[in-house]
Amino acid sequence: MGSRASTLLREEEIEEIKKETGFSHSQITRLYSRFTSLDKGENGALSREDFQRIPELAINPLGDRIINAFFPEGEDQVNFRGFMRTLAHFRPIDDNEKKSAASSEPPLNSRANKLQFAFRMYDLDRDDKISRDELLQVLRMMVGVNISDDQLGSIADRTIQEADTSGDGCISFNEFMKVLENVDVEHKMSIRFLH
Amino acid sequence: MARSPAWSPAGGRRTLPLQPGLLLPLAAALLLLLAGTAASPAVDDHGKHQKVDNQTHNFTKKAFPVLSFEYAHIKTPFEISLWVLLASLMKLGFHLIPRLSSIVPESCLLIVVGLLVGGLIQLLKEEVPPVLDSNLFFLCLLPPIILDAGYFLPIRPFMENLGTILIFAVVGTLWNAFFIGGVLYGVCQIEAANLKNIGLLPCLLFGSVISAVDPVAVLAVFEEIHINELLHILVFGESLLNDAVTVVLYHLFEEYTVVGTVTVLDIVLGIISFLVVAVGGVLVGAAYGFLAALTSRFTSHTRVIEPLFVFVYSYMAYLSAEVFHLSGIMALIACGAVMRPYVEANISHKSHTTIKYFLKMWSSVSETLIFIFLGVATVGGSHSWNWAFVTATVILCLVARVIGVVGLTAIINKFRIVKLTTKDQFIIAYGGLRGAIAFSLGFLLDPKHFEMREIFLTAIITVIFFTVFVQGMTIKPLVELLAVKKKQEAKRSINEEIHTQFLDHLLTGIEAICGHYGHHHWKDKLNRFNKKYVKKCLIAGQRSKEPQLVAFYHKMEMKHAIELVESGVGSKMPSAVPSTVSMQNIQPKKPAAPKPAERGFPQLPKGREEEIRKILRNNLQRTRQRMHSYNRHTLVADPFEDGFDDLLRKKQLEKTIKGISNYLPVPAAPLDSPTMRRARLSSDPQPYNPKPKSDGVPAIQIDLASPQSPDSVNVIGEFKRGGQTEPEEEDRGLMMAPPTAAKETNKRGEEDGARDQQKLTRCLSDPGPGADEDEDEPFLP
Repeated sequence: MGSRASTLLREEEIEEIKKETGFSHSQITRLYSRFTSLDKGENGALSREDFQRIPELAINPLGDRIINAFFPEGEDQVNFRGFMRTLAHFRPIDDNEKKSAASSEPPLNSRANKLQFAFRMYDLDRDDKISRDELLQVLRMMVGVNISDDQLGSIADRTIQEADTSGDGCISFNEFMKVLENVDVEHKMSIRFLH
Repeated sequence: MARSPAWSPAGGRRTLPLQPGLLLPLAAALLLLLAGTAASPAVDDHGKHQKVDNQTHNFTKKAFPVLSFEYAHIKTPFEISLWVLLASLMKLGFHLIPRLSSIVPESCLLIVVGLLVGGLIQLLKEEVPPVLDSNLFFLCLLPPIILDAGYFLPIRPFMENLGTILIFAVVGTLWNAFFIGGVLYGVCQIEAANLKNIGLLPCLLFGSVISAVDPVAVLAVFEEIHINELLHILVFGESLLNDAVTVVLYHLFEEYTVVGTVTVLDIVLGIISFLVVAVGGVLVGAAYGFLAALTSRFTSHTRVIEPLFVFVYSYMAYLSAEVFHLSGIMALIACGAVMRPYVEANISHKSHTTIKYFLKMWSSVSETLIFIFLGVATVGGSHSWNWAFVTATVILCLVARVIGVVGLTAIINKFRIVKLTTKDQFIIAYGGLRGAIAFSLGFLLDPKHFEMREIFLTAIITVIFFTVFVQGMTIKPLVELLAVKKKQEAKRSINEEIHTQFLDHLLTGIEAICGHYGHHHWKDKLNRFNKKYVKKCLIAGQRSKEPQLVAFYHKMEMKHAIELVESGVGSKMPSAVPSTVSMQNIQPKKPAAPKPAERGFPQLPKGREEEIRKILRNNLQRTRQRMHSYNRHTLVADPFEDGFDDLLRKKQLEKTIKGISNYLPVPAAPLDSPTMRRARLSSDPQPYNPKPKSDGVPAIQIDLASPQSPDSVNVIGEFKRGGQTEPEEEDRGLMMAPPTAAKETNKRGEEDGARDQQKLTRCLSDPGPGADEDEDEPFLP
């Protein structure tokens, strides 16, 4: 895409995105129009301010983290490809995809990748472990200001104690997956993008 | 009566559980009783005649009756109690025979018992009482079951699958009704069946009665197969919500059968009526639910009647809906589901248990009675068997159900994220059981307008028997055969709760980014509204501000604590800070719960206390090693008494010091601190005057070897250190620790200085390793 502010999405790009993310043609065009409506600066990329302008995101306790998840390491702008790549994690899993996924590299919206996305939102320092502090931060965001630190601490301790089978005091990705094996992640982490 | 011999063996040895062998004579006795009471009306009439005679003959005097028999006025309650007792004993008996209960579902066994009882009564009297009276059924037997289902309805899966459930309930039932009714009409037209007199409308009426999936039967059978949550909620939800459709169709066809024709206007009105019935029922239920929640906010002083409000408000919701011919079942469900989160936040733990067990008890008894009465009514009712009609009905029910489910799933799957597989569809179709509601509705038909009522009733009973016996018995092995996913027995862990909430927020955010106002968006909006306005209004005290996560955690910890206590491992609590948890669990239940911010404060002293205890424990050990070197005669100051006059103390100290200044310390054991070594080496019997306090450097006083109670020294030192939370000082053991004193003087001032002095005097030989910092200071002036 480069620096050229292209308002129209070219067919080749749509095809590429389709192959990479699995979205359908109509879904991609719909999301592109949403992308352009968010892009107030009209430079073909979204910045953090563009996201923060969305009102529902401002009142969402995890708003900042969600915004950060769109931006790759150290960058301040996300183009349409990156936007779609992140959103691809939330596409519902198709039955026929499940069968074909086993052969090649798993698609972005496979169960493991969905969980990996969620895990990365907890694990800010990317050390592949959710430490007690990281958990406390998330709990604090979700629970609000009324609860004391000690109370939150005991909840965090209990959580880690339940999940931590290796005994290192942190939750690794495998332990995270194990804890959520009963939860219907495919359903919970999917958005119905209307065709 | 045969009762007494049956009772004595049971009562004699309490430790033995009631054997099946004992139950049978008991049950037999009860049956005889029942038959006997049913036969008693003849006796009563005779009795009444006698009384009338006596009155007209001017009171001829009789001997005072020592023992009299008057059955008439307690007849009804007595019979009801007998039936309930019989039902409960049967239920008890089935579970004592494990092999039987695993093969045959309870509902089948109960129907068989009902058949037996009915047969028995018929043998004795030839007239079976109409037990499954529609009034009795709809007003007394059905509400407890529905309330139990509604109160404990798992809201989350229900709401997530609401679209699917509604489509099955509304469209599925309509399809069933019209298909069955229509094809039956066609069957009736066949000459050979001689059913010519049944018109289209009665057929459609019959179709609407027989098409509804019955919640009682579904509950009874599905409860035993432990199927996964999704399928359970789909079939069960459908059985609950199709009541509205059934009510409307029933009334529509019943009204117009009398007239004979249905116009387009009637159909339009019927559709509007359906909406009114459904939405009206839900609104009535929700209104009563809010009332119940509001009432429960004020029950903190009268905890005993809390469960009563839940039951009465729900029953009123049902009755109010029935007054307007709205859907009573939907009203009950709405009432239970709406009031539950708020009521549970307000009521005490005991009330919660009471509600749970009363609901389960009533619904269990109701269900048992319903099935028994079905059996009795089968025997007692007048039947008219028509091969064509009955077989057609049974086959059509199955066929219609299968076609309906498959067709609707094809449409629904386009909109679902998690598609329904063929296995799921099979279970949904196979789980479409008919039950007592269909029978009662058929029973309600006016025989004057419906001559074919008996044919209908026979067919209904046949279908019920078929679904309950054949489908009920085979569904369990089929579930095993098809390897359908079973219910997960694991309890919800706090991890799941946290991550589920986290994912909810995440998805709401992503939906906002996509500009897609979907499921999560509206759920989030509802939650926000709930938190902001509704909870404040309906939940008492500070619980209204408690986040869902914290409430869940408290409940979990409380359950865990109860489990631990019950299993006898009282001391070992896995949670990191058990004391804080238990305090918080108790606090929310108190009527005047402190603010959530204040809840934090009671913890601080406990945490400190722990620390202090730890320090004390550590140092007590070390003190024992050094006990011999302490001075017995010095003052033991109380560190708690802040009101001590500093000057007074100082004076006392100086006095004592002067008195014993000639004595030198005699260390009994080798001391490791360099200062002490110096002291030993340079033991100089010189009077040692304490440096003036003003320069803030406490000097080490040489004093008589006087043992003190180590505790007091400990305590002083420890409380200083407790306040400081300086872990490195623990190792120094007690005493003086002049360096700490030095640090502290700027903080605490005069008081501490005085205490330091004391410590100094006391602790002659052994300033401890902390004195290292004093090395720059001259030990001896």
